[in-house]
Amino acid sequence: MAFFTIHPAAGLTRAQRRRASRDGPVAVATARPYRELLSAAGFQQVTETDCTAEFAAVTGAWIHQWEANHQHLVALLGKQAIEERQAERRAQLRAIEDSILSRSLFTACRP
Amino acid sequence: MTRCERETVTHFAEQYRAAPDEVSRRIERAVIGGDWGANGYTTLAQARLLGRELALQPGARLLDVGAGRGWPGLYLAKATGCQAVLADVPVEGLLAAAARGQRENLAARAAAVAGSARALPFAPATFDAIVHTDVLC
Repeated sequence: MAFFTIHPAAGLTRAQRRRASRDGPVAVATARPYRELLSAAGFQQVTETDCTAEFAAVTGAWIHQWEANHQHLVALLGKQAIEERQAERRAQLRAIEDSILSRSLFTACRP
Repeated sequence: MTRCERETVTHFAEQYRAAPDEVSRRIERAVIGGDWGANGYTTLAQARLLGRELALQPGARLLDVGAGRGWPGLYLAKATGCQAVLADVPVEGLLAAAARGQRENLAARAAAVAGSARALPFAPATFDAIVHTDVLC
């Protein structure tokens, strides 16, 4: 199995964890590290690769591209939807830049 | 269906219902390098990395959980020759994925299944590899 996931960064305070849940995508709320969860579920050879820098770059690119195509997207999706989504992305980018949100690639095998 | 799953359906169904137009595809190519109707954070380079990590090849059976419109599972079927089953809760995304699979001549190697990851209708050891991208958060 291999998967990418967005998760709270390690070592956050309770307030920072709340911010990770608020500013990350829907349901960024896991309380235990994925490595622990995978091991507890019986997976073996668990690896974790940090992809947070790419996550920041892609989030920034979505913001930039939606700004560059604002008029077209407003006509397609509506002004309110565009503004809400862009505000969510900007909050998410700030959380990444403040080292509160991370994204990692995990790989694991079943015995 | 759990409350979380119902919210997921509500959140994504309308989004998936509208087919991406040319501008949306151009934006997606500029952001992640592909044009499979994705709206997340997995780049083309990362999708290729998944294929390598899972050693996907012709004959391998891949399950993509939370496949949306088919990114990256359908892409991996095309790129590696593997068989792919795309599973997700919002049917709208799977319909788009099935249509894309037809256009890419992948219908014989790709199938879509509407279902929750908590209760997938597959026997143990059905798949050689499982992938999901930003489904577990």
